[in-house]
Amino acid sequence: MTGRLKSVALALLAPAIAIVLSILVTTLVIAAVGSSPGEFWSTMFEVPKPRLRVDIVNQTAMIYIAAVAAAIGFRMGLFNIGLEGQYTIASFAAASFAGAAYLGGFANVIASLAVAMLVGAAWSGIAGLLKTTRGVSEVISTIMLNAIAVTLVGYFLNNYGVKEGNTVHTKNLEPSSTLGGFSPFEDRDGEIWALSIVALLLGIGFWVLLNKTRFGFDLRASGQSESAALASGINPKRMILISMMLSGAVAGLIWMPALFGGARNYGTSFQVGLGFLGIAVALLGRNRPVGMLFGALLFAFLSVKSNDLTFGTDVSPSIVQITQGVAVLAVVVTYEVVRRWRTRLEQRAVSRELTGTTAGATS
Amino acid sequence: MPSAVDAVQLRGIGKRFPGVVANHDVDVTIRPGTVHALIGENGAGKSTLMKILYGVQRPDDGTIAIEGEQVVLKSPTEAIEVGVGMVFQHFMLADNLTVLENMVLGAEKLHGIGDGARTEIRRISDRFGFDLDPDVLVERLGVAARQRLEIAKVLYRGARIIILDEPTAVLVPQEVDALFENLRELTSAGNSVLFISHKLDEVLAIADDITVMRRGTTVGTADPATATKQELAELMVGSELPSPETEESTVTDTVQLSLSDVTLTDEFGRNLLSDLSLTIRRGEVLGIAGVEGNGQAELVETIMGMRIPTAGRIMLGDEDVTHWHTRRLREAGIGYIPEDRHRHGLLLDAPLWENRILGHQTRPPSSKGMFINRRGARKDTERIVADYDVRAPGIDTPSRALSGGNQQKLIVGREMSGDPVLLIASHPTRGVDVGAQAAIWDHIKRARRAGLAVLLISADLDELIGLSDTIQVILRGRFVGTFDPAKVTPQDLGTAMTGGAA
Amino acid sequence: MATLALAGCGGGSDSEGGGGDKPAASDDVCKTADGDGPKIGLAYDVGGRGDQSFNDSAYAGMEKAVSDFDATCIEGEATDGEAESAREDRLRNMAESGATAIVGVGFAYSESVNAVAPDFPEVNFAVIDGFDPDDTANDNVAYLGFAEEQGSFLVGVAAAEKSQSGTIGFVGGVNNELIQKFEAGYTAGAKAAKPDIKVEVQYIQESDLSGFGDPAGGKAAATGEFDKGADVVYHAAGGSGSGVFDAAVEAGEGNWAIGVDSDQYLTATAEQKPFILTSMLKRVDTATYNFAKSIDEGKPLVSYTVYDLKQDGVGYSSANESAITDLTTSIDEYKAKIISGEITVPTKP
Repeated sequence: MTGRLKSVALALLAPAIAIVLSILVTTLVIAAVGSSPGEFWSTMFEVPKPRLRVDIVNQTAMIYIAAVAAAIGFRMGLFNIGLEGQYTIASFAAASFAGAAYLGGFANVIASLAVAMLVGAAWSGIAGLLKTTRGVSEVISTIMLNAIAVTLVGYFLNNYGVKEGNTVHTKNLEPSSTLGGFSPFEDRDGEIWALSIVALLLGIGFWVLLNKTRFGFDLRASGQSESAALASGINPKRMILISMMLSGAVAGLIWMPALFGGARNYGTSFQVGLGFLGIAVALLGRNRPVGMLFGALLFAFLSVKSNDLTFGTDVSPSIVQITQGVAVLAVVVTYEVVRRWRTRLEQRAVSRELTGTTAGATS
Repeated sequence: MPSAVDAVQLRGIGKRFPGVVANHDVDVTIRPGTVHALIGENGAGKSTLMKILYGVQRPDDGTIAIEGEQVVLKSPTEAIEVGVGMVFQHFMLADNLTVLENMVLGAEKLHGIGDGARTEIRRISDRFGFDLDPDVLVERLGVAARQRLEIAKVLYRGARIIILDEPTAVLVPQEVDALFENLRELTSAGNSVLFISHKLDEVLAIADDITVMRRGTTVGTADPATATKQELAELMVGSELPSPETEESTVTDTVQLSLSDVTLTDEFGRNLLSDLSLTIRRGEVLGIAGVEGNGQAELVETIMGMRIPTAGRIMLGDEDVTHWHTRRLREAGIGYIPEDRHRHGLLLDAPLWENRILGHQTRPPSSKGMFINRRGARKDTERIVADYDVRAPGIDTPSRALSGGNQQKLIVGREMSGDPVLLIASHPTRGVDVGAQAAIWDHIKRARRAGLAVLLISADLDELIGLSDTIQVILRGRFVGTFDPAKVTPQDLGTAMTGGAA
Repeated sequence: MATLALAGCGGGSDSEGGGGDKPAASDDVCKTADGDGPKIGLAYDVGGRGDQSFNDSAYAGMEKAVSDFDATCIEGEATDGEAESAREDRLRNMAESGATAIVGVGFAYSESVNAVAPDFPEVNFAVIDGFDPDDTANDNVAYLGFAEEQGSFLVGVAAAEKSQSGTIGFVGGVNNELIQKFEAGYTAGAKAAKPDIKVEVQYIQESDLSGFGDPAGGKAAATGEFDKGADVVYHAAGGSGSGVFDAAVEAGEGNWAIGVDSDQYLTATAEQKPFILTSMLKRVDTATYNFAKSIDEGKPLVSYTVYDLKQDGVGYSSANESAITDLTTSIDEYKAKIISGEITVPTKP
């Protein structure tokens, strides 16, 4: 029992050190540019207003979905840096499909989600195919596919989008296909988007898949040792393709809560950068479902609260990007340090065990 | 012949490492002009000690004196400067360079890179009988010549104390004899050799002094003139030495595995395996002998479905499995003990019970339908740990933390579970301690009695002869001879392995 | 995080790369103003104050309004890749803190203003370059647009008259409707001044907004045009413009570049300055000031307003006096003709 407690404490050690470090670095940076760190932290740690609480929940949901998508790749040993492109093109496709209103009401929502997943999977599948057939590193191919996705979406929007003022967007959703959400506070404080629940379901699904299923075992085994996975009968190419596509399918869902929650179309309100945030949060949460939840919450909190900085302080809201970046770096480094330390403890335990038993065995 | 100054004096050397057996209170004295053998099971601390002597690692305690001078060695460069050189088990040579070029690489300042160097190489080669032509490409050299080149390299750099890490592991018996001749030349010229091995016959044949290590420390010295193998082994393991002994034949008439004219071609169209045919019956152990790199690994990977043969047919029982994939073959009852357990046999950071699942993902007790059966896998891991004497604090310990022997016992236990019909055992006792080796041999023999068909690949001829019902020798991807282990000698096998008349 | 910067070109299609240091806080009029006039809220686009372009121009208009109407003010800045909700929150914060006139700088505020405005009927909103994204008209929102084609027409005249070679160039950041307006006006102006002039047109990106933040791409496009014989190149490429100026510097004496949005002669490097013929001015300051003025006068602007030459909403700069002096008479003639309606400038190429 104490062993279990100890391992939980060890698991929390790395993130704790990382957070302290990132607070320290942020404070130093703010002080170095001559602003007041005290003002910054008191603004940041102030209890958020109701509408910000709603925003934090919504942002957490989207970041979390992105983190799950990244984690699927990471656990397999793949670096899917192309989440950004995958959810961009998938969001555009789903918004176009939903706006075209082939189906009505809720059926339209479900079908659009399917479109988002399919398009995301197809887009990441290109990288998967390139890796399995031509040996192209997924890091390179997904970065290039990001650029291609953005250009492609821009092209379609320019040519087939609805023009309004200086902007273009996809056709607006029919009111029957918007899901809205649930208002925990007053109406003007906004709604927690209905599809935020997708994040929760994905988190649970990810945990079950990884820890309870054969597929999850194969995925983790491939990520830990490709050669051992091969010898155990796992087809590495098939695993690469499937996990890449799964990652892309989940990435396709990243922006869906916003689309059906209030955005109504793919246009100026499309939020870029969630894919990269997801990668950062997956690293922060060590690809663990619960860890990533806290990571997503932290990032959402920092991003949303940073808006207050612009009023109360001299500090630019962009500073929280430093906090976020340092947190990720620090977590990666401290985790590795803690891991080594832990391995040492474990090996000591084994040596103890051996000296204990062999004393009897050899006599 | 007592000498005024010892070549090497190690006193009270200690090295603490995360968990694994390190060194403590190690004392070794090497007299000048002698071959000093350092023996011990794998994991006894031999490699740590030689890394300390070669400056790769620094000791936490103790002192090193080279030719009477106390030294602190921070790097191999510093070790070379005081006259200590080392030849690793895995050669560090550039194939596409000549002997001369390999020799001067990194030591250009000593004798230049031209005729001066050439003369020096010839001098070393002639003096010790190395038979090295400076202008020959290394890729054209055999294993033994490469080894001589490595030794010459060390001498060229001025070493007087030469550490040889298991130098005979890659050699056939005749080559071993030649190497020993060279070593005698070396010592007669006043050089000292630290000879690391766990092959007791060889040690007794060559060494002037013997130091035995166990559990990280030196447990005694022996005089080769009077010591016996049995005594040395007892010092090494602290108990009696087991040896594999073939029992009564259990070979049946039922063919379990047959290969007919299997050929495997690489991407450049070269044959890795040529027209291999073999049959293994239930209750039969077929041993494959050969110098490493002659197609053994490819043969195993082809049978295991990791490579698909270019031509030929593989039958498992009555089924044609030529194009089956690894998982399907495993499901059909093939157990697989891979050559490199770290790369192919284990998930080092996963707990033991997850390693129990590896390779058995689709079969009970590891899984139920699409799901992993955690309880079943854990329970069966407990069984393996108990039955196969895997020494670990618990089944949640990551496999990385286990010693090599215990890792291997876990793998053997896993591959024997689920009633396999065929076991592919690739170097099943390589790098494991003597206790684990005996246990693994016992398990293989017991399974054979129960009707298991076994393909055994090993570099240890004693193991092959002791366990096999038939031995096939493989050379350059072809079978070049079939032997009856009851009659064959290691010399016969050695001749066949190197391409002499069978 | 560097990764976030990659994603950050969403909102600011017209914004300038700039690069000047942020002004010290003590320079900020909002810190010191304590009059009893209207309270103005200014929600910047990405880049914020100190961008030497769009946002700074809006600030200049507000600063003037503060002193003229004894107003107070509050500012808020957008971050890269921020959520739609962050923009809404910024506007709500301003409204809740008592701002009665709130300006969203950049069309990216169109949606958020549309969402927030109904909740604050007593507050007036304006969106620079904005539009109403739905069918329900908002009676407390003004959409302030510009006749960029008219300003571009004037610099087109300047380019054609300055050109010795008979070829001039245009570099657009992204090939979209907005930037095509610049191209159309520029070409029309040039042809009006010299009917046989040749105009080389290059867009840095077909659709990706990164074309507004890619100085290397701007330089490559402009260099290509100089190589084809152009000796004056006009850019409507935001932050990529500095690359266009560098290309002119490299092309050497006798070659010129024309800036956009703000008077880029004032913010260019010493090396670039002599090569900047003029800039097409988009008077965000005027629009901001006029909006504040309308509030002060109790007749708030609502719905669409287009700032054109007549209202001094667009124009050209004559900061580089020695270069432009000879041309001003001619340019001003065309300006008068456009104002009188004698010339209608096309908005599509």
